[in-house]
Amino acid sequence: MIQTYIPGGSVVHRTPAGGKLALFALLALAVTAYPHDGASIGAALAGVCGLFLVAGIPLATLIVEVWRLRWLIVILGVGLWVFVSPLTAWISTARVVALVLLATLLTLTTRMESLLRVLHRLLTPLGRFGIDPRTVSMTIALALTMVPTVARFSTEVRDAASARGIRLRIRWIVPLLVRTLRHADDVGDALAARGLV
Amino acid sequence: MRPETAVDSISLDGVAVVRDGRAILRDVSVHLTAPRIAVIGPNGSGKSTFARLLNALVRPSSGRVLVHGLDGERDTAALRRRVGFVFTDPQAQILMPTPAEDLALSLWGEPRAEIERQVAETLEAHGLAAHADVPASELSGGQKQMLALASVLISRPRLIVADEPTTLLDLRNARRIAELLLTLPMQVVIVTHDLDLAARCDEVLLFDEGRLVASGEPAPVIAAYRDLCA
Repeated sequence: MIQTYIPGGSVVHRTPAGGKLALFALLALAVTAYPHDGASIGAALAGVCGLFLVAGIPLATLIVEVWRLRWLIVILGVGLWVFVSPLTAWISTARVVALVLLATLLTLTTRMESLLRVLHRLLTPLGRFGIDPRTVSMTIALALTMVPTVARFSTEVRDAASARGIRLRIRWIVPLLVRTLRHADDVGDALAARGLV
Repeated sequence: MRPETAVDSISLDGVAVVRDGRAILRDVSVHLTAPRIAVIGPNGSGKSTFARLLNALVRPSSGRVLVHGLDGERDTAALRRRVGFVFTDPQAQILMPTPAEDLALSLWGEPRAEIERQVAETLEAHGLAAHADVPASELSGGQKQMLALASVLISRPRLIVADEPTTLLDLRNARRIAELLLTLPMQVVIVTHDLDLAARCDEVLLFDEGRLVASGEPAPVIAAYRDLCA
């Protein structure tokens, strides 16, 4: 779901971030709140996939995004199939997949900086309640940025253990946490050094 | 040929830094006006702490630090606008997903068109234009350090403090970054283990066990460091 911006000149790319966010929020609301049947949720899901094509996102990227959701699809779909009904499994799973794909499409076609500006604008009224919109929007942006970094740490920890012939099993979480927290300190320093906090 | 350099002064007066009962810097007093200043010394000698004092990332336990007339204790925000800091590990410094977005972050609050213009110019000037929108995590080590430096330079600081900026780089990239640092139009303080780089600076400071043990022209200070490590 958290993907890096892919440059492009499509209508989806060109739509201002604020308008796009509002439009996607409305679409998400429609996908969620509308009392779908099997056909209408299929159409909704196809519509979301169609938006990827309108945005000029390669089909392979769409397939990879759906593949990433495979465990969610399997667990949710099978669970609902077994405990509720096949139709409910289809409608609910397709609904979740459509929502995640919409969020993915937003980050694929919108620069982080533009999203930050929108978030900042949206959060500004909360300033009167002591919420700093800049801090909140920056925190969200940083969280998105840190995902590949933490993934890299995870690989490094496993590689370091393998190189020494050690199987850490669940204990790999400890060095990963230590490394991530140290990195968080460094990022805090970097934010301070750039005058952002 | 060196560019014309706008130099202001950096003054430390009886500065000590103590952390958890351990003295990291002891009674450091120095007045610096040279355009290129190298800071050398063994590991754990206090070099990085000295560098961090200049950006108020570390506060002195006693004494006073004045950078271009600004006191880090009182004028922290103004000081950080004036002093750009380059970290050893660029990964910690890159805060946004792509180079273009990371540079834009440094100009947060400026008009959008102006940000786009400056970002495009800076990417071009630092050989990163072709990588503007690729994930920063996929850049090479040299490109990441160049991006980290560019993200500092784009906000036009008057002093650059670089904490071992070439340590993690191969020889070619280390030379590129060193060359860039040495030709910048603003005052530069470089913490380094690269004695060739230190020799090309105007003044060198040598730290050992938290004390400033020598300062002045590069040749005698570097010779003193070699003696220290002999």
